Amino acid sequence: MSEVGIARTPREAADWSRGRVVRANLRAVAGRAYPRIIGLTREPSWLFFEILLPFLAVSAFVFVYRALGAPEEFVGFVVLGGAMTAFWLNVVWMMAAQFYWEKDQGNLELYFTAPMHLMSILAGMAIGGLVMTSSRALAVIVIGSLVYGVSYQIAEPLLLAGVFLLTMIPLYGLGMLFASLFLLWGREAFHLAQLLQEPIYFLGGVNFPIRHLGAVSALVVATLPLAVGLDAMRQLVFPGQASEGVLPVATEMLILAVMGVIFLVGARLALRYLETLARREGRLTLRWQ
Amino acid sequence: MTDRSAAVRGISLADAWRSFRTAIRLGWAIEANWSDPFLFAVYTMAKPLSAAMILVVMYSIITGGQAGKFLQFLIVGAALWNVVYGVLAGLVQSILEDRERYRMMKYVVVTPSSLFPFLLGRSLARVGVSLVAVVLTLAVGVLFLGVELRLNLLLLVPASVLGLVAVMGLGIFMAGWCLQLRQEAWSYPEAIAGAMYLVSGAIFPVNVLPAVVQPIAWAMPTTWWLEASRRGLVGHGSPGDIGALSDGTVMLLLLASTVVVVPLALAAFAWFMRAARHKGLLDMTTGS
Repeated sequence: MSEVGIARTPREAADWSRGRVVRANLRAVAGRAYPRIIGLTREPSWLFFEILLPFLAVSAFVFVYRALGAPEEFVGFVVLGGAMTAFWLNVVWMMAAQFYWEKDQGNLELYFTAPMHLMSILAGMAIGGLVMTSSRALAVIVIGSLVYGVSYQIAEPLLLAGVFLLTMIPLYGLGMLFASLFLLWGREAFHLAQLLQEPIYFLGGVNFPIRHLGAVSALVVATLPLAVGLDAMRQLVFPGQASEGVLPVATEMLILAVMGVIFLVGARLALRYLETLARREGRLTLRWQ
Repeated sequence: MTDRSAAVRGISLADAWRSFRTAIRLGWAIEANWSDPFLFAVYTMAKPLSAAMILVVMYSIITGGQAGKFLQFLIVGAALWNVVYGVLAGLVQSILEDRERYRMMKYVVVTPSSLFPFLLGRSLARVGVSLVAVVLTLAVGVLFLGVELRLNLLLLVPASVLGLVAVMGLGIFMAGWCLQLRQEAWSYPEAIAGAMYLVSGAIFPVNVLPAVVQPIAWAMPTTWWLEASRRGLVGHGSPGDIGALSDGTVMLLLLASTVVVVPLALAAFAWFMRAARHKGLLDMTTGS
């Protein structure tokens, strides 16, 4: 409680025991993850579009490489990039832009008045989104590999799994950070989400190894988890000269770990600021703002 | 008492023109005026340029960076495709936004004026933005990537007019279709544009497609519009079979496919509107 006896947040007002706080936040995580996971079976049309759209994009780039007479591993690069694109789209549309949609639907003020931490809501969104998108990414890889005959040479599957998981932490951490920023930037959410697609596919080397971007690739590796993760995974899945990375896999894993910490801490700070602003100005929960 | 012999306001050509102009202003306000101008300018430029640059880097990795006809083919295709996506997304998202988000569709439909000029005007802002993207992408191609413009206006102007009409026909069909959908209507323009991107020879020659898909490519007006526009802009068409056709044949195929697509699309839109009125879909919100 504050000095004058008025709680500054619903969490303070609840005045719960530590155990109850933990249980409430875990329930919030599970509650927010639930619709995304259960949506896998309840909304088959989602499945269709979220597999079809990345697959169409993958196919177009595969045909470009084939028209250019590129070595076959480039087809594999495109398929793997297409699968990772599904995660990026999930982060942009269902993490970064989510609070903005929630505001439009009138849910956001409920989040601000409920006695759990907003990080729990975002964590639930991330876990649900990760599960949901993993099925779609796997479908893109399986279908793409079967249709275009991609072969993989995975010598260290555990290391690959580790790199994948390590990529997901900063990726979804960035989504959490963007969720607050998108809400602050208001009506620009749609344009921002659009802006984070093709430019990021280009800078992130979704369809080609990022070392071909020259000096820009160093900057990209230092800032974009999608690019670093993809570069490391390509080195592990398609060993050879064509997939030579910007940095060794171990260094890229270290970068991903540091990024994970930075983005998660950044997300927490941004949420705290957002929550203060929402209570002080009362505008953040208004629709159409 | 109403004079029954007097013309009903809203159904004259002048009224349609007024609806069209008002809808253009509204569409632009929604698309741009409510955004930060700097962000909007960056968004307008960065998205199409990045899409083109992905192809340029892919090309340069494989060919070692040599400028050539294939690079020109890629850049012109990537540039012009912005129009297809702009028209499809503009028409479909306008109708869905007005139904689901702003909930104005039913009010527009109950006015004596036709929905048609409103819909066209409302979507024009996105089409305008897509035309800016075409110019920007081509300008970058010419200034930095060695694209040589060899304009043939006798080919380019009629091809652009016919192509735009055909693409708008497809967009109108999609807009009517999406009114019927209860789920995922927002995803349809992207899915259809993505499928058309694949079969229209936008960024790779149609010959590369599996044989079963190639007849679809030959039937699409977008294939012939892109081919005719390439010839009108850079003086040569696609590599492969389509590139071997004469200019006259390409224009004839563009005209024929447009003549088939547009009346069918308009008839389908009228039917979709009747069905939407009948089923009460004009004020439906799906929460999607």
